[in-house]
Amino acid sequence: MELYVAALGFGLISASVIAIAAVGFTMQFGIANMINLAYGEVMIVCAYVALYVNQRGVSVWASMIAAALAGAVLSFVLNRFLYAPFQRKGTNLIGMVIISLAASLILANILLPVVGYDTSSYEVDQGPLLRWYGLVLTTAQIAIIFVAAILMLAVHGLLRYTRLGKAMRATAANPTLARNCGIPTQRVIDLVWLLTGALCGVAGVVAGMNSENFAVASGAAYLITIIAAAVLGGAGQPYGAMIGALIIGIVTELSAAAIAPEYKEVVAFAILVAVMVLRPQGLLARRGALAAAG
Amino acid sequence: MNKTQPSVSHRFNRFGLISSVAAILVLAACGGSTATSGGLGSGPLLVGVLAPFSGADASFGPRYLAGCYAASLSINGAGGIGGRQVSCQQFDTKGEPADAVPAANSMIAGNSNLMGVVGCTSDEASTVVPILDRSHIPMFCMTGQSEFNKSTAKYFHRLVPADSFDAYAMIGSALFGPGHAPYKSVALVFGDDIGSQTFVGPAVAALTKLGVTIAINQAIKLGAASYRTEVAKMLLTKPDVILTETIGSAGTYMKEVKQQNGGKVIPFIGTSATIDPVWFKQVRDAIGLPDFLANYQAVDLKLTLSGSGYDEFVTQLTAADTKFGGSNALTYKGKSPTVHLYDGIIMTALAMVAANSADPTVYNPKIIDIANGVAGATVVSTFKEGVDALKAGKTIRYVGAAGENNFNQYNNSQQGYNLVTMDKDGNEVVLGSLTQAQTQQIIDAGGGA
Repeated sequence: MELYVAALGFGLISASVIAIAAVGFTMQFGIANMINLAYGEVMIVCAYVALYVNQRGVSVWASMIAAALAGAVLSFVLNRFLYAPFQRKGTNLIGMVIISLAASLILANILLPVVGYDTSSYEVDQGPLLRWYGLVLTTAQIAIIFVAAILMLAVHGLLRYTRLGKAMRATAANPTLARNCGIPTQRVIDLVWLLTGALCGVAGVVAGMNSENFAVASGAAYLITIIAAAVLGGAGQPYGAMIGALIIGIVTELSAAAIAPEYKEVVAFAILVAVMVLRPQGLLARRGALAAAG
Repeated sequence: MNKTQPSVSHRFNRFGLISSVAAILVLAACGGSTATSGGLGSGPLLVGVLAPFSGADASFGPRYLAGCYAASLSINGAGGIGGRQVSCQQFDTKGEPADAVPAANSMIAGNSNLMGVVGCTSDEASTVVPILDRSHIPMFCMTGQSEFNKSTAKYFHRLVPADSFDAYAMIGSALFGPGHAPYKSVALVFGDDIGSQTFVGPAVAALTKLGVTIAINQAIKLGAASYRTEVAKMLLTKPDVILTETIGSAGTYMKEVKQQNGGKVIPFIGTSATIDPVWFKQVRDAIGLPDFLANYQAVDLKLTLSGSGYDEFVTQLTAADTKFGGSNALTYKGKSPTVHLYDGIIMTALAMVAANSADPTVYNPKIIDIANGVAGATVVSTFKEGVDALKAGKTIRYVGAAGENNFNQYNNSQQGYNLVTMDKDGNEVVLGSLTQAQTQQIIDAGGGA
């Protein structure tokens, strides 16, 4: 029993990391209509930016701010100078996916000669170990859960209670109508890329902390889980991504405890497939944060 | 009508002739090689490093590339192979058979001057060895898969033992290794990929027969973000020692062991693949240097690492450092894959000189002649010594940077195992070796090679 309680706790950490990343990813799709396969690589670039700062004596938590800024700028630039011109030319969604895949490869191959093949890790004090009914978590891990909770609440607040959030929801629901109603959709989309880029940056750092070490190749591995969480919750739905992250995070850890670890992703993806069969639109489609403002 | 037909035909023929000549000229210019059954030809030669340069096993490729750079410098510094300069090119298999096949095909299709291939790890050997063998390309593979123990591929060569031997040596380290009493309870923690799992079967068989408790046998997903639940599960079984490889994920796993085990690390024994600067750095950073030094042991192939052949290797590896991007080539100077593949390339080059041919069907059989030697052969340790001896009309035996080679009829050559650890800088330190009787006891328990 203790093992399952521990697995539940570990699942919460994994879910926290996935949620931060998946919410940003799904907002890019929901509002900017972009399945950004370069998201994982942007995470890794940001993780290395934070590492650079961390290695100069700055705490990893403060380095997160640098990563968020880097993520915001990089995502904004990617969209403005790569994705948006193709979208303006009418490139279809599949074409945009291929372009984002190319962007991912370009980023990885630019990064590789700079940081090398080796794995890297942050100088981070994990703090004392906290044990509670089988749960075994370090202080740093609990802090990651708090960071995720705060960011999720912030996203909720932004989308529900601010004018920008309403403009984002309107742009997501019908960009043409939103534009005709006087919403500066281009500016809204720019802000979406900046905000989701910042989330991506933070996600890169917490993923690096969670894994203890990371390398350029880690980006592709992160992306699979992020997409799974986003799709499970309902593509384009931030609340859905949060729930998807929670399910995937907890199910993978519980199945590692119950069955064999090599099947933990199989179980998580089997659930994803089952949801896709029973509810192809995902768990929260039409009822999520980006549903039309009402 | 009759008059126009010959005219069109004539023009067509002229056009065809010009096109053919142009095509031949273009092909000749592009090819850069003239592989014929007689003579060494002209133009540059290429060694393909077909290995993972990305993905979970991305650390494998650079160590092979380092060996290739050193070998090419040694060959080129001695005037090349009949004047032909050798270069190295990496072909990324990503450690996946599905990516390895197109990588191998494009390497072959795009490089008619390919003199040999090194790399082909357990991740991709099963798929690429048949392709290379069909194309008559001599290869030195870093695979330990047992399917190559009795390989019939003529162009396949292996300077490392089967993974089953690595597994037996690890068990030998657990039972007879220095600095500890024989471990009674063992956790097997290996990746769930083909390469890692080849250790598990022989290890389970031998441990069971020898009466050692297998506390847990975990196949973990390499590259996962965390292994907390796996570690919690493993710790509940209270093993004395962990036998592991988990390339790319060992740092994450061992850090979580330390965290969940009240700050204490369980002793861990690695395969020969863990004697690697990338692996060292990852695990050292994760658990801290004191815990690493106190708890890590591994097994490695017996290498001479001395003599003029090794000196030449180190000299050329030092020279190769500038070509090696962000990494430091010298960190590979004691690493068996780097040293062995260096030797493999030198042997291939000497075989070409000995056969006086750039045709692999002619020089491939010479590789084993040069490695094993024949009665009365002159022992040479460098490419230059070999070329000089061959020019003097002598037969040669190459005893290179790693020492002697002894290929069997299946093109397998290996020299036994050392029990090792690493020092604070990641350099290999030999702790001892298994006796023949100890080795045989474990091999017998495991059901042989």
